[in-house]
Amino acid sequence: MTMMRYAEALNAALREEMLSDSSVWLFGEDIGRYGGVFKVTKGLMDEFGESRVRDTPISEQALTAMAVTAAMTGTKPVLEIMFADFMPLTLDALVNQASVFGYLWEGQVEMPMVLRTQGGGGVGTGAQHAKCLDALVAHVPGIKVVAPVTAADAKGLLKAAIRDPQPVVFLEHKLLYNMRSEVPDGDELVPIGKARTVVDGSDISIFATSKMVIEAEGAAKALAKDGINAEVIDLRTLRPLDLDAIKTSIAKTNHAIVVNEGWTFGGYAAELSATIMDYCFDDLDAAVGRVAMPDMPIPYSEPLELAVLPNAAKIATAARTALA
Amino acid sequence: MAISFTVGSAGGEYMEAVVVLEWHASVGDMVTEGETIVTVETAKAAVDVEAPCDGTLSSILAETGAEIAVSEMLGTIGTSVDDTEAVVSPQEQMDEPETSTPSDAPIRSTKNWPAGDRIIVSPAARRAAQTRDINLAQIDASSPSGRIKLRDLPTDVTGVSVASPIATIPREIGPLKVYRSGAKTGVPIVMLHGFASDAQSWSPVERTLSPRHPIIRIDLPNHGKSPKRPIGVFRGLAREVVEAFDELELERAHLVGHSLGGACALSLADIRPRKLASVTLLAPGGLGPEINHTFLDGITRASKPDSLEQWLKLMVADDRLIGRDFVMAAMASRSDPALRVAQQAMAEEVFPDGTPGFDLRAALDRLDCPARIIWGKADRVLPWRNALAAPGRVGLHLLDRIGHVPQLEAPETVIDILKSVVAEAIT
Repeated sequence: MTMMRYAEALNAALREEMLSDSSVWLFGEDIGRYGGVFKVTKGLMDEFGESRVRDTPISEQALTAMAVTAAMTGTKPVLEIMFADFMPLTLDALVNQASVFGYLWEGQVEMPMVLRTQGGGGVGTGAQHAKCLDALVAHVPGIKVVAPVTAADAKGLLKAAIRDPQPVVFLEHKLLYNMRSEVPDGDELVPIGKARTVVDGSDISIFATSKMVIEAEGAAKALAKDGINAEVIDLRTLRPLDLDAIKTSIAKTNHAIVVNEGWTFGGYAAELSATIMDYCFDDLDAAVGRVAMPDMPIPYSEPLELAVLPNAAKIATAARTALA
Repeated sequence: MAISFTVGSAGGEYMEAVVVLEWHASVGDMVTEGETIVTVETAKAAVDVEAPCDGTLSSILAETGAEIAVSEMLGTIGTSVDDTEAVVSPQEQMDEPETSTPSDAPIRSTKNWPAGDRIIVSPAARRAAQTRDINLAQIDASSPSGRIKLRDLPTDVTGVSVASPIATIPREIGPLKVYRSGAKTGVPIVMLHGFASDAQSWSPVERTLSPRHPIIRIDLPNHGKSPKRPIGVFRGLAREVVEAFDELELERAHLVGHSLGGACALSLADIRPRKLASVTLLAPGGLGPEINHTFLDGITRASKPDSLEQWLKLMVADDRLIGRDFVMAAMASRSDPALRVAQQAMAEEVFPDGTPGFDLRAALDRLDCPARIIWGKADRVLPWRNALAAPGRVGLHLLDRIGHVPQLEAPETVIDILKSVVAEAIT
């Protein structure tokens, strides 16, 4: 085990996969010479050269179409979209190409592409650089969506994503890059579609991904002071969902809180809530609590931004309400 | 392919012969399953025999006044009037289960049940209550939302709700048994019998009223031919009665209830006031806390004619009415041990600790149709003074030297009162 930052873990994953598979290559805005705005690709251009680590112009639409074509023609592209806020520009290639080509050509085409991006608020980057648009991509069948919170999962899931024959959207969070945690040494993969129990509990299940897992852990600590044993489940993969983990936990606690940093209406938390209703209704002892971003732009003012983002206090309140 | 019918189980296992009192259908008449087609006298009590199936009454084999053995054929029902050859054994027909198969079993309707009376319960608690046969109506919600949650249920099998005999009663599905007889047109008179009795208890008045009025008698849950299932507290019983009443889809009805059936009638009148043209209550429950709980216990436990006889005698002022034949017939109608167990459990639910767990004086106050209360002043089951709770516009008929069952002891008086309240009602 090695203690490393989340960004370093991603860097290690990319490097290891590039070393072991010469068809893996990276491209994106400022990822080469500059090493990426969040330094995830630092040093990789020097090590692997300009043909495997490419700086590109600003055109997310063209970049994503390029990833699709590159994946179809036998390579394993890893595209970085600097901010998740620009994901709408990638959607045609994802929704109409990457997700359906395997289907249209009866599985003769593999689509081993990874689209890395980062979203989320909390540092005053305003309405165009702080969104969480999980629901936009998780909505599309044929695309896998992962969102790790720990450095270990970041590394293990990125390696698994690169090796996956289907398109994977890899969601990072700008506030996670500098967080340190233990990462297993060597070629350790984290399977896509498997949740992780962060905190064991018996009273209420809190389901979250990415940075919201940290908020959920904070809520669990606060609830513990009231004698409430909250279970925190890091879903890690938004799609395909680890339904077994959800069902097992709710069967134990009979209460569920779903958390997502994206908007409330039609959001990923809404999807989780409906799924729980579909599969766990008779296990529920209270309505599913939903903690998500209000339906509004992210304020530029930091105090206002912090006021509207989902956080530990809001999760704890939702849990207390469900348990009342 | 005609189907023959006998007195069958209606005759009771203690009876050997019956006397045909009256045919309600003539040869050639179309009859429908469950319709009363002939009334016979068993042990001085009139018993209705129902058509076992739909068809045409093709022969009458025992004319009015004839005395026949219980097993003897009364008549046949065929596809036409010529179809008289009985080929299907009557017993096979009579023994068909009352309730339908689960696949086509009627789904119990909860339509129109006032929202305020719905039990709000979490899905998990509802499932647990069903699995463990916990009566949710007896559970208090601890949540500020008013919703019953898992934590509100008894925690183990020694919990109060779980330990009661309710838990051992199989839950039969299906609607309550309804008997229709009498005139085809007019505002029907709906009759609700008392605890540990059944729809047959109305025979003395039904016979006289039926030529001029449609009569609908309902067997309460766990009584007569109705399904046996836990009903919860009185509110659960009232709900079943309201559902059964709603299923009748009547425009208007005169309502008559005796004892516990009187309490049900009051509850029904409170919930469906515009449906009722009049309400007549015979020794109704729910107007005071006193009830002879040793009677409740005794009559439901009695498994032998000798013990049952003592409790039957308590119900009347003049115990000469309770002859050996009457006792035998009454015992026959209670011969099913499952019925007695179900009634014992129901007594615990509806009369917890030997007390009526419901108070309907407010409902009585709200009655706004012509209403009468009939009570025997020699009632040893429910004290007649409870009648004094009635508001001034409800007529009281307090009968001297009459016990708990006026329709048995004083049928003429009850019929006269019913006729007058029906005449008074605006229909």
